[in-house]
Amino acid sequence: MAGKPAGHSELWEAPESMMSDHPIRDRSRSLGAVLLAGLLMATGCSGDGSGGIDSDGLQVVNIGFVGPLSGGAAYYGRNVQRGITMAADEIAEAGGFEVDGRQYRFEIISLDDRYLPYETATAVRRLLQQNQTPVILVPHAGGIRVVQEMNTREPKFLLAAYSSEPSILEAENPLMLMLPPRFDGYQEPWVEVMMGRFGTRLALLPTTTAYGRAWTEAVSAEWTRQGGTLGRDHGVDYNTTTDFTGAVSRALADEPDVLFIGGPSQPTALVIRAAREQGFEGGLLIMDQAKFMEMLDIVPIESLEGAIGVYPVETYPTPGAPRFAARYYERFGEDSPSPTSEIAINYQALYLIARAMTLAGSTTDPEAIRAYADEAARTLPEEVRVYDMAGVTEGGLITRDVYTAHIVDGEFVSIKIPAPGGAP
Amino acid sequence: MTLFFQQFVNGIALGSVYSLVALGLTLVYGVLKVPNFAHGALYMAGAYVSYVMLTSFGASYVVAMAVSVAVLAVLGGSMEWLVFRKLEGKTPVHSMIAALGLLFFMEGTADVIWGPTFRQVPTPFDGVVTLLGVNITEQRILVIVAAVVTMVGLYLLLKRTLVGMSIEAMAQDREGALLVGIDIRRVAMLTFAISGALAAVAGSLIAPLLLVFPNMGELIILKAFVIVILGGMGSVPGAILGGYLLALAETMAGTYVSFAFSELIAFGMLVLVLVIRPTGLFQKGV
Repeated sequence: MAGKPAGHSELWEAPESMMSDHPIRDRSRSLGAVLLAGLLMATGCSGDGSGGIDSDGLQVVNIGFVGPLSGGAAYYGRNVQRGITMAADEIAEAGGFEVDGRQYRFEIISLDDRYLPYETATAVRRLLQQNQTPVILVPHAGGIRVVQEMNTREPKFLLAAYSSEPSILEAENPLMLMLPPRFDGYQEPWVEVMMGRFGTRLALLPTTTAYGRAWTEAVSAEWTRQGGTLGRDHGVDYNTTTDFTGAVSRALADEPDVLFIGGPSQPTALVIRAAREQGFEGGLLIMDQAKFMEMLDIVPIESLEGAIGVYPVETYPTPGAPRFAARYYERFGEDSPSPTSEIAINYQALYLIARAMTLAGSTTDPEAIRAYADEAARTLPEEVRVYDMAGVTEGGLITRDVYTAHIVDGEFVSIKIPAPGGAP
Repeated sequence: MTLFFQQFVNGIALGSVYSLVALGLTLVYGVLKVPNFAHGALYMAGAYVSYVMLTSFGASYVVAMAVSVAVLAVLGGSMEWLVFRKLEGKTPVHSMIAALGLLFFMEGTADVIWGPTFRQVPTPFDGVVTLLGVNITEQRILVIVAAVVTMVGLYLLLKRTLVGMSIEAMAQDREGALLVGIDIRRVAMLTFAISGALAAVAGSLIAPLLLVFPNMGELIILKAFVIVILGGMGSVPGAILGGYLLALAETMAGTYVSFAFSELIAFGMLVLVLVIRPTGLFQKGV
């Protein structure tokens, strides 16, 4: 939000007139405005960072969370926060977890970065100074890249990275855990299914964030590799576009069999609605950021016929997933938004970290915690497992078999993507 | 050729959306010289009021919009009374910061009340009309028609009623208006109330096309500022034509160049107009 009043020069002559008028009153008022702005920026921050013992006799370990809690991506940030908070609450209610003979619980300290990487860095520094957090969760690739420069220097900390972008593994950060499956496993099976059912012409209408571009490149390469033809890239920024109709009309003019789309769930659903309104009946290849259950709040299941995307948690084909969904609804009420994988993956990650701390015998040594993450992933107790993890690779990726969903006659049909073997 | 007509229709629908939002903004600027960033928040609030009326009270679409217009007129008027009146005679920076503060304050309030969840506003006009291969949804037709009706209504209000004429008089010459006995405080408050009502009309009409969430106003207010500057700050016809111009430029450039560049084109146009004709395409004045 900057630069609007251009063309109206007197706006910029303020400082002189501020002096001339009532200097003291004016200054105190503008000071008030600055304070107000500061206060507004600070909203969404919480927690006091006391790392002592609480009233239950449990020791407290602070876990940092830095993500978008205000602005357009607030919905996403709060979903992630909800996942870890739910796990932290459950752990505390169950009497905590044991490390070296003592019982601990987690306290989540959340700071808002409004999705801006430089704000992420500032928030992380603040967490380290004020809250001595041994683990910090960051849910976007831009922020993760910035934090990768910080977490191996003193004070060291474990970076829990919630982003499916494979490039975050390239830094070979020794103190990182990549929580979701990397997205480059999806393209090959998805393209095969879509081509088989609908045809070989693909139109591209993805979001144009860095994540969206990386996805587009991967899907374009795979589509041509399997012998399909690509339309031009008609990508638009899903976070700033008001009306998708024009872009959709343009993409459909290429007469595609399949439309490649994706961004946050809600604008993605608007793109689907526009495409169906304009008579598109082909398949939809949807990036892993968009979640079916959230899109179904906006469009009916008929509009999603022929779509391929990530599997909804409620009906995910592992025993832990429906159990998790039931606990989620019990805690937040039947009317609460559906538990997406955003919530589930981060929920499980916190349990994994607790388990790794137990195995490592330390709540403060990030290297030891990271070293035991693999064992923790493989031995996480059945009742808190949502997904069945295969382990953690040397590069920090949590691996597992991933089920994705293809909608056929209004039903979710699962497509299994096996866990990547010794991949980095 | 079908694509061209399709995009022309899409552009006109989007232009109606832009113009509706820009109207209230330019009115307040023209009369009071306040760059009202909070107009985006008024638009958001208008959409939420309609949403609540439609979903919680089961009101009809027309009733919901009428309630929204009434609530937002009061909200707009009290904004002037509580905040901007106190800043009268101060530098424009004060008003600008106050407007920004109000924007964030109202977004925060909406977040507290409704949360960051995206909500969908139901509409009775959810069909699609196809004519000569061109598709348009009924709601978009409604937006186009309602935009024209609103613009004509505003024109008649400003030109044919005493209230409107005193608003125009104040826009043209504040001191002069005061000298001929116009109650400028009342007119200022009224202008804000009308601007709030316009925001409510825009919010209620557009909400079913998009989604309702606390930050929805931020996206569109930036475009509205571009339009208002394009058309000439404070010019009502400028805001209307500027809205259609920007929307058509975006849509056509998107179609024949690339949609990735449509923002670039919008702000490129802004820079170009400022360089060639810094006062905007239309002369100042309501």
